[in-house]
Amino acid sequence: MEGSSTKGVLSHLSLLEVQTRSRKARAQQPSRVKELQKKAEALLAQRDQLKAEIQTHKDLQKLRASLDKQHEEEEEEEEEEEEEEEEMNEDSENSQLLRLMAKQTQLKDLLHAHHISGGYNVTKTSQGKGVCVSVVTAYEGVFLETYNLELDLKPRLRVGRHNVPPFIPLTRLVEQSGMQTDIRTLLDPLSQHLNAFAGRKQQLKLVKELHKSVEVLESNVLCSLLVLMFTLPAEKAVVLCSLDYTDHTRSLPTRLHFECGEKELLDSPAWKRSRSLLQETPVHKALTTMREMGNIV
Amino acid sequence: MMEKMSEENIEEVKVLEAQIEHLQAEVAALQRQQQDNHKVITFNFRGQMQHAVSYMCGQRQGGGKEEVLSKLKEEVEELEEDLKQQTQMNGISLTRCTTKTLQSSDRKQVQQFCVSGHCTELVFQVEFQLSEVKQDGEASERTISDLNVVMDASDLQTFSGFLSGVEESRDLLLFFRTLRAFADRCDDRRRTFQHFQEKYPSVVSLPAGCRAEVMTLNHRELPGCVLFVHWSVEVCREGGVTPKIQLLTKIPERALQLFPSQAVGGAAEAFQSLLRILGPEAALESVIMAVSLPQDT
Repeated sequence: MEGSSTKGVLSHLSLLEVQTRSRKARAQQPSRVKELQKKAEALLAQRDQLKAEIQTHKDLQKLRASLDKQHEEEEEEEEEEEEEEEEMNEDSENSQLLRLMAKQTQLKDLLHAHHISGGYNVTKTSQGKGVCVSVVTAYEGVFLETYNLELDLKPRLRVGRHNVPPFIPLTRLVEQSGMQTDIRTLLDPLSQHLNAFAGRKQQLKLVKELHKSVEVLESNVLCSLLVLMFTLPAEKAVVLCSLDYTDHTRSLPTRLHFECGEKELLDSPAWKRSRSLLQETPVHKALTTMREMGNIV
Repeated sequence: MMEKMSEENIEEVKVLEAQIEHLQAEVAALQRQQQDNHKVITFNFRGQMQHAVSYMCGQRQGGGKEEVLSKLKEEVEELEEDLKQQTQMNGISLTRCTTKTLQSSDRKQVQQFCVSGHCTELVFQVEFQLSEVKQDGEASERTISDLNVVMDASDLQTFSGFLSGVEESRDLLLFFRTLRAFADRCDDRRRTFQHFQEKYPSVVSLPAGCRAEVMTLNHRELPGCVLFVHWSVEVCREGGVTPKIQLLTKIPERALQLFPSQAVGGAAEAFQSLLRILGPEAALESVIMAVSLPQDT
């Protein structure tokens, strides 16, 4: 009896185990189906979205081409913009929306182009009393810092807060400009100063990165003064080179001075060529050429 | 019964899995097609555009067509306002900009831009690539490469040296800053030429139009004697823009022999000192007065 009851308990347990397992399997399968259904639905939505985007892209491409052409013709004739009455036979329900979309892409692209190439980006300030102008700097195609100026428009144009570095003579540029009538008389010289500064700074950075054997002995925040030490390959002599960028609107030096223990060395044709290289090309490039010529290590 | 149910589920799972596989392939193909489309022309579906595209693809939840339309219209109007302001600030009218996506990954995106427009009367077309590389914890680095500038042939002469330098250094900002300055100086010339032609129509003529470099001065009773004012706008490689005005004379050999006067023979040099003292407008006016005087007496 004891034995049978033990057996009975065991077999009962194993029966329970089998039942639970199969129930689990049964419960698992519908959830797997649900999971797959969800996945299929998501894919279906993604496919439809992509199809719609591709179709829209196709429609927009056609519309943009005619819109661009129209825009150029308008510019040429300098006529007032007219509402385009182009016939859109297919799918006239959405044609109005599509046309607006095409216009939106055109405006967005033109604005983007302005932001990349124009140099001055305008945004309205939160109070709406003035505008914020960003002056973009770049050197050899690489975009660098952007400086911002708040321009108050009332009662007369005035430069408010800004993050132009203190060593850029903003006050003097404002005074010299005729910004009340033409804001670019301020922005152009300012951009010239900032871009020249960005250029000199970037050149210094490149000298340090590319020319480990050239020692930078001295430089200032404005990057208008640079003292370099070159080591010559053959002799153990060194040459001190000071570059003076007196014209702060340029990123090429106005004065150049070599110093060396052996004076006659600097009179050699190779060093004369180095001199003109350093005066006419950006310093990091001049150094590369000088190294290739074998003038410096 | 239980057996049958799980068999059905297995069937369903198989069908779903096949469907998913099919959809995945379809989505991948559509994504490839979309990428190819973006290589032809790229549109950004962001902001209100996203809603518009969703509407097109039939996801019409959250507002009907009117709402989608009015919101997009609002955005377009705002963009038009922004573009107007940006055009005024940059002093450049852009008429067309198209974008192609050449490369797109999580870290790097390369886009090809083709921008055309004009600065007063000077028409230009600029092509370049903009690559954006995401950096950890910093703003993404943006670089311009493959810069190519096309300008009207008539303006090329003074611009060509500068243009090749700009293309080499990929300095888009410098190009537009210089183009603006160049256009402004050309405008000064046009205004001055037109002013004198209107004021002294019997003496002043503009054989190649008011935008050309040459103004001729000629007295009716002395058809053989002509003074040419050659006013060019020079652009140096670094982007400096300077006007250069010269006076050239065409006087018959015999007249010079008969009247070997200093005033005629040394006119060109004398004009340069006149320029230095009086500035271009007054210097030109005094020459015009000298030519037209005999008529009045």
